[in-house]
Parts: sequence; C-alpha cells; structure tokens
Amino acid sequence: MRGFWVMLKKELRMFFVSPVAYVVLALVMVLNGFAFRAALSILESAPSEGSIVTWTFQPQWFWLSYFFVFPLLTMRTFAEERRLGTFETLFTAPVRAWQVVAGKFVATLIIYALLWAPSFFNFRVAHWISAGQVEIPAGTMGGSYIILLAMGMFNLAMGIFASSLTRNQIVAAILSFTLSLCHFLLGVFVMVIGRKLSDSVVDVVAYFASAEHIRIFTSGLIDTRPLIYYSSLTLLFLSFTLQVVEFRRWKP
Amino acid sequence: MIDVQNLTKQYAGRTAVDGIRFQVEPGEIVGFLGPNGAGKTTTMRILSGFMPATSGKAMVAGFDVFRHSLEVRRAVGYMPEMAPLYVDMKVKEYLRFRAELKGMGGHSMRRRVGEVMELCGLTDVRRRLIDNLSKGFRQRVALADALVHDPKLLILDEPTNGLDPVQIRQVRELLRELRTRHTVLLSTHILHEVEVTCDRVIMLNHGRILADDSPRNLASRLNTSTVVRVEVETKDEKAPLKLEGIQGVRKCTEEAVEGGAWRHFMLRVEPGFDVREAVQALATAEAWRVRELHRELPNLEDVFVELASSAEVMKGGRLS
Repeated sequence: MRGFWVMLKKELRMFFVSPVAYVVLALVMVLNGFAFRAALSILESAPSEGSIVTWTFQPQWFWLSYFFVFPLLTMRTFAEERRLGTFETLFTAPVRAWQVVAGKFVATLIIYALLWAPSFFNFRVAHWISAGQVEIPAGTMGGSYIILLAMGMFNLAMGIFASSLTRNQIVAAILSFTLSLCHFLLGVFVMVIGRKLSDSVVDVVAYFASAEHIRIFTSGLIDTRPLIYYSSLTLLFLSFTLQVVEFRRWKP
Repeated sequence: MIDVQNLTKQYAGRTAVDGIRFQVEPGEIVGFLGPNGAGKTTTMRILSGFMPATSGKAMVAGFDVFRHSLEVRRAVGYMPEMAPLYVDMKVKEYLRFRAELKGMGGHSMRRRVGEVMELCGLTDVRRRLIDNLSKGFRQRVALADALVHDPKLLILDEPTNGLDPVQIRQVRELLRELRTRHTVLLSTHILHEVEVTCDRVIMLNHGRILADDSPRNLASRLNTSTVVRVEVETKDEKAPLKLEGIQGVRKCTEEAVEGGAWRHFMLRVEPGFDVREAVQALATAEAWRVRELHRELPNLEDVFVELASSAEVMKGGRLS
C-alpha cells in the first residue's frame, strides 16, 4: 500500500505544479457558469418541473465541459512517463504495477472531484441570495454529484488506458476524447433509432445512455444499475491498463 | 552477488542476449563492454527486474529476478541509460519521492537524501528544477537516485555517457569511493573507461560473452605482436639491420625525427618475446647512446577488435 500513497501524493503534487490544473479548472468553471446562468433563465421565464440543479447539468454547456475534462486530466499519466523514460525507473523501484495504476487513477479522480466543487457553491449562493426562493432539493444534489462521480470514474479509467498505450500525450488525449464521445453517442444514437424499433431495445440501450443517466439522477432518482455499470467498466479499463503496463513482463 | 546462467532474451525475430553466463562477487566493480546493440542494456534490464528473460536464470543477491522481482529491486540501484528524470520536479523533491517509493520514510529518509546529495555534489542545486540542470548534473541526480536506498548492487547503464572529461573523472572517483559499500556493474562502450575503473571486464558482442577477465590479464593474454620503440644516437647506417638481427624482432622501421644524430626505430616483435634487454645489450656493444626504450602493451581496444573479429571468423566457419 505504501507505493500507492507515494504515487498518489506525487501525482497530485505534480498536477498542481503544472499549469494544466488551472487551465482545466478555469475551463470547467466558465462552462459551469454558463450552464448555471442558462438554468436560471429557464426558471425565470416559466414555471418548471425541474430544480436549478436539474437544469444546470443538462444543457449543452454541461456536455461541452464534460468531454474536455477527461483527456486533459489523463493524457499525461502514462504517456509522460514513457516519453521521459521514467517508466523504466518507476518499474525498477520496488512497487507493484497495480499500486502505480491505482495511485494515478485515484489522483485524477480527486482532481476531477475538485473541479465540480465550485458548482456546489453556485447553488448554495443562489439559494442564499434569493432567500430560499431558488430551491436546491437534497435528492437532486446528491443524485447529480453521484452520477458525475460515477461517469467520471469510468471516463478517467478510459483516459488512463488511452495514455498507457502511447508515448504521445496528444495521441492519448485524442484517443480518450474519441472513446468518451463514442460511448456517449452510442447512447444517443441508438436511443433515437430505438424509439422506432421496440421498447425492449430502448431498455437495453438505457444501460449505456449517459444523457439518460444524467436526466434520471439530476431529477433526484438514484438508480443502482448505472452505478454498477460505470463501476464495472471502470474496473475493466483499469485492469486493461494494468495489463498494458505489465506487458513487458509477459513471457514471450 | 550476481549469478547468471544461460540467460537468453529474444525480441520478435532477434536474439539480443544469447545464452550468457557469468558471476559477480560482492565488492567487485565489473564492466560490461561492447559496441551498441551488444546486449548490455538488455542484460541490465533483466537483472534490475524491468523485464523477464526468454530463458535461463538470473539470481541477484540470492533472489531470482523474475520470481522475487520486488526483493531484487530492493537490493538493486539501477540507473538507466540517458538518466531519465521527472523534469518538472526539483532535485531534492525528486530524490525524496524516489526514496519514499523505495520504502524509506521519516527522518532517516531526509538524512539519507542529504547524504547522497552531498556525495554526488548536488547540494548546491537541490532547489533547482531538473529541467534547468545540465546533462552532467542530471546524470548525478540519476546516480543519487540509484544510491539513495543504499543498495547492495549498483547497476549503471553508461554512467559517463555525454559527460565532459572533468565530469567523467568525477564519476570515476565517485565509483571508486562506492566500492567499499556496493558491488557495481556498469556498462560502457568506452574502452579506456573500464581499463581505469573496473576490476573485471565482461566483453559482449552480438549477445555473447567474448571474454571475462581483469583488464590487465586480457591485455597480456592477447596473442598479437607488440611494438618496441627505441631512440638512439648513432650514425651507423646498418643500425636497422642490426636491430632486425635480434631474435624475436620481425621488422624494424625507422621514423623520421628532428634533432641531428638522434634516430627513432619502431620494432615489431613476435608474440611472446620481450626484446628490450637484447636491444640494450646491442646498444652497449655498439656504444649507442639510448634516450628511449619502451614497450607498448596492447590496450583493450586491440583486445576487443581481435576477439570480435575472431568470433566473426568462427561464426562464418560454422555457417559454411
């Protein structure tokens, strides 16, 4: 376990030393601000079913930030080690490969979670300024942050996997972006076709339709199926990464 | 400390290391010598637990490198070629991270990092970003990293690569200091390097061991002609012939030299002869004044070329 903590500490420290951290944080805050303002205007114009939280995490502003975050957070993880050659020093130190992979994954997950912290203050401030008129129901808050974390885990694991495949950060970022986007579009695309086919197809597709998951969770419904889906995919991609990192140790 | 038996490493379609065997005793400084692509780096990577061998066995500090990889990595300080480092860390920060990764912590870790920085001459640059350091300093940071957990065995891949002559000398002196506490296996393609630093040389070519002996033994074992240089004062026109008359001298050539009566001869001598005493006797008999009498021993470069070319011949013979 010691190797894990040392790696986690190093990754977090390195991230906040590099400018990437602040660029990503600024980007997410700007887009979040837009999403929040858009949600406010919806609530201003007409009576609405959803709360401010529901509307903040659904418009295109939200999806814009969503896809950019994962490549930016994960592209460095292994590609940088390979480019610098520190891959060799890292794996000739007495640490196990899983400790390295887990350390890097948990570090990116912590940073990712920090990115959403400002949005929480947006809601609290709106609630406070409007003297309670802007409602923030506990269910929608909890649901939103749970699904954001679950989806984040999955996409970060995919990004780290992409980074482990190459020594070029750009390639890693593009691959990670493509994988995330494909997963999202698969959900949307089949959803559209599915309506013309049958209900059973829609039911199956609902398992990997991210947009649908967001809609359900932000309205305060916590469904365990997407959570299990995202956790198992996270583990799958982390184990792929472990295999890639350990590839050199395979007996030919 | 190291026991390698029939070690073979094959990459797709290419044999990098071909059934080598050697031992290294504790306290030795052993040099791997060979041209690029001879299998030095591959062997070192296997010994440091970075990758497995295709077949054969390698034991380091009593542990099998594949089955007890973590124990081996704890016992080995490995410095890869080109000294890879995290460029956006500071020197002290990097060394502390590496020490922690290698299982050290707390006060003893801080003290040890201070010690190795002192030892490698890094104390003045400890707050500098590695990105801004010169090649020589980076090499020293990598060496400090290899040393930080006080390993029994140091494996250094081309530790003097890219350094200037002053830095090379510093590294060499550092290695000599380290020998009391560590066993060292280093690789280089600079022949002079091993001649000066190492107790023992293992010559590799095409993944095979050509020779495994002390530099001095290797040089004297070499079965080629030696050269004796003589500088005498004489006007005797038959001097070259007289010198050629000495038993064991194959050929005598005169080299042009400025300075009147002084003449310079180069004698090619059959293997196994030392003609210096005979030359001296001749000079006394002829009343020549002698100003230089020197036998040139073959250096490792000659040994290496000789061994490599004879290995090629053997290989060719087997093929036909």
